[in-house]
Amino acid sequence: MRLASPTLSWLPDIREQAGQRIRRWARRRQGRDGLVATLRPGRVYILPTGVGIVFGIMAFAMLLGAMNYNNNLAFLLTFLLVGLGFVSMHCCQRNLVGLEIAFAGVEPVFAGDTACFRIALNNRSKNQRCQIWLTGGDKPGYAVDLPPRGSEVLVVPVVTERRGRVRLQRFAVRTRYPFELFRAWAWLHMEPDGLVYPTLATRPPLPPTSVAALGHRQHDARGEEDFAGLRKFQRGDSPRNVAWKTYARAGQLFSKRFSGADTSSQWFDFEALAGYDLEARLSILARWVVDADRRGEDYGLRLPGHEFAPAHGPAQRLNCLEALALFGDDASS
Amino acid sequence: MTRARGTDGSLLSSLPWTLAALAVGALPHLPYLPIWITAASVGCALWRIVIEKRRMPVPPAWFRGALAVGGFVSVYMSYGTISGVGPGTALLAVMAALKLLEVRRRRDQFVLLFIAVFLNMAALLREQYVWSLPFLLLSLVVTMAAWLRMAAPSEQPLRQSVTGAARFIGYALPLAVAMWAFFPRIATPFWSVPIDTSSGVTGLSDTMSPGDITSLSQSDRVAFRVRFDAEPPPPRDRYWRAIVLHRFNGRTWSGSSPVPDHRFRERTEFLGDPIDYEITLEPTRTQRLMSLDLPESWDFERTHVSRANTLWRELPVDQRSVYRVRSYPRFRLDAELSDFGKSWYLGLPDGRNPEARALAQTMRASAESDRDYIGQVLRMFNVDSYHYTLQPPALGANPVDRFLFDTKRGFCEHYASAFAVLMRAAGIPARVVLGYQGGELNPLGDYLIVRQADAHAWTEVWLDGTGWQRVDPTAAVAPERIESGRSDAALDGSGAAWGLSAPSRLAYRLGMAWDALNARWNELILAYGPENQKRLMRWLGFENPDWQRLLFVLLGTVAALITLVHVLLVLRFRPPPHDRARRLYERFVRRTGIEPLPAETPLDFERRVADVVDPATAARITRAYLDARYGDGGENALDDLGRAVRTFRRRAPA
Repeated sequence: MRLASPTLSWLPDIREQAGQRIRRWARRRQGRDGLVATLRPGRVYILPTGVGIVFGIMAFAMLLGAMNYNNNLAFLLTFLLVGLGFVSMHCCQRNLVGLEIAFAGVEPVFAGDTACFRIALNNRSKNQRCQIWLTGGDKPGYAVDLPPRGSEVLVVPVVTERRGRVRLQRFAVRTRYPFELFRAWAWLHMEPDGLVYPTLATRPPLPPTSVAALGHRQHDARGEEDFAGLRKFQRGDSPRNVAWKTYARAGQLFSKRFSGADTSSQWFDFEALAGYDLEARLSILARWVVDADRRGEDYGLRLPGHEFAPAHGPAQRLNCLEALALFGDDASS
Repeated sequence: MTRARGTDGSLLSSLPWTLAALAVGALPHLPYLPIWITAASVGCALWRIVIEKRRMPVPPAWFRGALAVGGFVSVYMSYGTISGVGPGTALLAVMAALKLLEVRRRRDQFVLLFIAVFLNMAALLREQYVWSLPFLLLSLVVTMAAWLRMAAPSEQPLRQSVTGAARFIGYALPLAVAMWAFFPRIATPFWSVPIDTSSGVTGLSDTMSPGDITSLSQSDRVAFRVRFDAEPPPPRDRYWRAIVLHRFNGRTWSGSSPVPDHRFRERTEFLGDPIDYEITLEPTRTQRLMSLDLPESWDFERTHVSRANTLWRELPVDQRSVYRVRSYPRFRLDAELSDFGKSWYLGLPDGRNPEARALAQTMRASAESDRDYIGQVLRMFNVDSYHYTLQPPALGANPVDRFLFDTKRGFCEHYASAFAVLMRAAGIPARVVLGYQGGELNPLGDYLIVRQADAHAWTEVWLDGTGWQRVDPTAAVAPERIESGRSDAALDGSGAAWGLSAPSRLAYRLGMAWDALNARWNELILAYGPENQKRLMRWLGFENPDWQRLLFVLLGTVAALITLVHVLLVLRFRPPPHDRARRLYERFVRRTGIEPLPAETPLDFERRVADVVDPATAARITRAYLDARYGDGGENALDDLGRAVRTFRRRAPA
């Protein structure tokens, strides 16, 4: 084995190269797909599996045996197997043809995490489609059965490396139903993009407290000038703001809210992180944004050419993180 | 050394079915397999189930390797060989048992299912009964259901697997039948491997030694079946010729092996009307073919006539075969016989059976002619205390003497042998013919069943001027053996004379019906061959069917059937038809000139189009549409919708 392995090591390379060529050819042939595609017969490819080849050899051997003994029942068994092979080939291809495939979105992730591209498979026919799975991601998918007129959402996971956009170049819809004698597949080039936020800095410097904004911030970022009401206690609220009297009465924790000119005085400034390189700065800012959001605080983000006024909530988080993700990416601005 | 890992129980959903497929496949082999193989296989299967249930590790590789070597050697020791269907099946069973101890992933079960298919194949090589076909289909359904369960990633409902398998087999069946009908059959085997089957036993042997056998088994096994084009000949003409024996050593009659040379054929004149018939011969493993006395022509390939007018084939008859023959019950055979020919049929060993020879000479001297002498001998058998029995006593060194003068009991072989010796001793050329006599007419299938119990021996004597003539000495001693078919004898109770109990009429009828079914099965399915294909092709309009045309029809039919399967699948998988109500409504929407909003209901749309459409019309169309599509308005609502949409015109903007 020690001798054989180096001499045969080029085999996987050849395979890989041939595969790439074929996939490029398919891309040229098919063009780019829309975000919804229905599989036409011409783009469902089919080849026998290893089991299918063994099955074929077995059928041939049995045919020779039947001919040798001129045994009519043996002929019948052989031809039943051959017929099953034919039927299985057609069923395998038809299991995919007519299937409707739609891109169903992808959640933004932080760089290094896995972006899950959701792909909806929609069976519009009255016949069940069995054991269909997706490949093209970084982890193998699992097969699903699509009931008549039913649909199913599968996920193509792509491991991200850098912030910015991640593109799903190509994925394949596959099946080996019914007997795994044939494998049919279709390549799809919907090329959807997902957003990748910068990696969250693991040990960020402390965020600046109440600096520049209006200049007169005294001690706290949460603004405690004028009492504005109560809200349910959230993790991260300062114990000083808890309405203890209310707690004594109602037995539930509430935080006091204050309104004032200064509620949104927390600014995360790109320029303030002068000691770090670009990606590190973005990672730190992302961490600050995420932390502030988790605490329910208001915050603003200042990037060169971009400024997000202090606010809180999902929209603010989304906007800020997207700006960080696409920072420096001209096409996005 | 790989670390033994526990199984994860993932095979529990499919393994029982794989085992069932193997069990069904092995079932027909059980009578032939050594008991230790069956026991070991069942043991391995049970062991595997326990392993899977308890999540135990499979046995280590060295253990399985040792078992494999042990199994292989044991099979070799049991059979003395590893080729042939018997040892092959045994090896398959051993392999399946060993593989069972090895499988860990679902995919590994493919090997087991392949073995199950091969077991089915081997069972068909052994025997092909009427019920073999339904059993084969059942076995295939089980195997393919197991296959589906293995291929399915998750638990599949049992019903789904079984109906799925049955459906796929149903799709494949027409294809298989077409390929079966048109695939060109060839007669020559590529190789010869012994098949140990229960069939293929014949009541005829190549030699005849009366007195050695003290009990003739009355085997009910069918030797062949005959379907006559016209009326079957009367029982006394039903002599089925197979072997001619001319050499006698005082104890044993033997013949010479057939010579493929037509020049040696005896000069034959056929007289009277021919009889055309079709014989379905059970496998005999010999080259002999049966034919009615005396065959003139036949349509079986590689078949010749021997010099003594018996049919023989270049290859042993290993499979049930069908052939047609034309015979003439009346004939003149070798009217002139050379002195050399006479000496060939007059030879008697010196010093054996002296009493018989003396008797022959005395009787011939007192007789007026050869014919008279023959009549006297037959009368002697008839009148003297000779008996027909299937359990004759053993005879000594001079069996003919002992039989003629002491025991006087025997069956056809004794009489034929004694008669031929008496003839030869008197200077009349004589020989013994082995074959079958009689046969049972099946009233339900209108054909003749000839069984091994109908095996018979008679003689032929040569007379100057008339040539060879058949003389059946058994007819003289037990005429009912010849005159009546066995069934009649059985029915009127006289069958008891042959050691048969009188069967009830119902059982008899059932037996006959079953045999008729078997006869049809044999003719139509098992003996389907080049002749049938030619007939089928002619029926399809091909004048000169050869194998190229056959192949052409085969490919055409298969292509057509595959297209049919394809169309069926396309229809099954077609998207829902765009319904008419929806089409009409969409036309209305287009004509309003107003773009519907996503997820806007027809009622919302109706409200929104109020300024360009007459509200009453819009309401009518919307109502009719909703009623036709979602309500139970049916055709009426659809017609109403159609009218409304057709007459709808957009109101000119005010």
